[in-house]
Amino acid sequence: MALIDLKNIHKHFNMGEENIHALNNINLSINEGEFTSIVGTSGSGKSTLMNIIGLLDLPSEGQYFLDGVNTTLMTDDDLSKYRNQKIGFVFQSFNLLPKASALKNVEMPMQYASTYNKDISDGMIRKMALETLDKVGLSSRVHHLPNELSGGQRQRVAIARALVNNPKIILADEPTGALDSKTSEEILTLFKELNAQGTTVIIVTHDSGIANRCRRVLSMSDGLMKDSVQVKI
Amino acid sequence: MIFRKILVNSAEAIVENKLRSALTMLGMIIGVMAVILLVSVGTGAKRYITSEFESMGTNVIMVQPGKTDKKNSMGPPVSSSKGKLTLADVEALLKKSQTLSAVSGVMFGAGVVKTENATNNINIFGANDQFNQIFNMTISEGDFFTKEDEDSGRRVAVIGHNIKESLFGSGTALGKLIKVNESEHRVVGIIKATGDKLGFNVDDIVFIPTKSSLRLFNTDRLFGVRASAKSRSGMDDAVAELTAILKERHNGEEDFTIVTQVTMMESMNTILNMLTYALAAIAFISMLVGGIGIMNIMLVSVTERTREIGIRRAVGARRSDILKQFMIEAVVISVSGGLLGIAISMLITYTLHFFLPGFDMRPPFWILPPAFLMSFFTGIVFGVWPARKAAHIQTIDALRYE
Repeated sequence: MALIDLKNIHKHFNMGEENIHALNNINLSINEGEFTSIVGTSGSGKSTLMNIIGLLDLPSEGQYFLDGVNTTLMTDDDLSKYRNQKIGFVFQSFNLLPKASALKNVEMPMQYASTYNKDISDGMIRKMALETLDKVGLSSRVHHLPNELSGGQRQRVAIARALVNNPKIILADEPTGALDSKTSEEILTLFKELNAQGTTVIIVTHDSGIANRCRRVLSMSDGLMKDSVQVKI
Repeated sequence: MIFRKILVNSAEAIVENKLRSALTMLGMIIGVMAVILLVSVGTGAKRYITSEFESMGTNVIMVQPGKTDKKNSMGPPVSSSKGKLTLADVEALLKKSQTLSAVSGVMFGAGVVKTENATNNINIFGANDQFNQIFNMTISEGDFFTKEDEDSGRRVAVIGHNIKESLFGSGTALGKLIKVNESEHRVVGIIKATGDKLGFNVDDIVFIPTKSSLRLFNTDRLFGVRASAKSRSGMDDAVAELTAILKERHNGEEDFTIVTQVTMMESMNTILNMLTYALAAIAFISMLVGGIGIMNIMLVSVTERTREIGIRRAVGARRSDILKQFMIEAVVISVSGGLLGIAISMLITYTLHFFLPGFDMRPPFWILPPAFLMSFFTGIVFGVWPARKAAHIQTIDALRYE
């Protein structure tokens, strides 16, 4: 069964008098281990699609099965739990807590995980956070605050935060948008490595250079989606 | 998240925002200090006045001419025309009473005292030989009046410390003549420096025998009668007996008012309690202001940290986790402020007491738990709204918030 299964998803927004049809009958299946990009211009609906996949927003119509469970019927608390356990977010602007160290930022999702699973101890949280920071190559920057780190390092902290709960899916929204091309390349390589270890990666981008490196590209335009698989990468 | 963890997190958040937290705490510190200090002032004043009363002797019974129907009043105005107490009443009490240890008629009025060298505006107090048994003043030189002084209406005087100083300086006063309202009196005693005793400054009073004072003021109407019961437990009997004797002499009419230490203390306590409540009400308002301060800052804090809330929600925080986080932050701020306020007000009052032992405004210990609890509940009450607001921010909007 597909890890992500969207069935006849619609999303409407009311912007004053105007009704915007942000997503128009989206049907989409993504299997575990895929490396997918969602591309499109601003206003095409790609961010809305990502928010729905990431359980940050609910569709107006249709059903979304995540890991076999119908998420459209979930309570707000269940959605929080699913975000915590199944999904790791990486944002364009990193979204780190500015006054917390790299370690504290990475520990945070596990702190919340420990409220869902009482077996997670403080020691485990610390150990996992350090391991994950090591995995993204930041073992020497553990106690630095975000503003003491470079853009690439900050994004690595954000990736470590996304990874620390061992999610099935990494959802990255323009992860290289604020980085120079060399650093972008490094981050992309990191995503590739994670994907090779089995994590499903979905990157939302308007950069065709990045989209071209993905096996599967979902192009959004006016709320409609075009699914294409590239043979050659 | 487990309570302990949120507590640690909020403590960290408070330390991360030192200035903002300090300013918020300031409201609570001032609120709690106001509560403690104002209540301390109230109880301190009460303690001071109570001890003043007790230093006067606790068996004192005061009889004033005239009658008001009101209970617990401090006695009618002196000029009340109805009812009259005379020296004959005093004599009757002295003769018949079994329960009183001393009785004195008293006169009171303003006057001038003169020697050849100095003039002084003073208060003249007429009293008999038993008066000092009632009010316990310490005579430093000479003696108080004798029974003969009173009975024969001798022109003798016992003077307060200040009067002696201003009229005679460091020289001897005993045996000298002074003119009290142009009438010559011989000084037979000097009262030790005493200071204020309930509104009268004893040091500024010239005591003369009742008879000479009546002559001086050209009247037979006494200002009042002062008596003391033989024992404190015999107060009620003494009052009953005194009432009976005077009533009999006044044709069965109770045209006088009896004020005892007990009734005076009671009415004084009523006033002082009112004062304490009024101060407590003012303190409560400052607490309220402190609470609103906390709410303000927490609301600003929620807006400022919208993105943080979005991030926390995205990585798995429930609404209840966010609610708890902001509630606990508000409570931690208010309780720390409360504890600091308690500490500072203790420091202030104890330091003052150390350097000025007469100025005892140390807070009563019973106020500390309520002050602490008030800061706790203020945190909860004024933390709820901002915390609820934080918990209901939409995650996607929060993540985009600049």
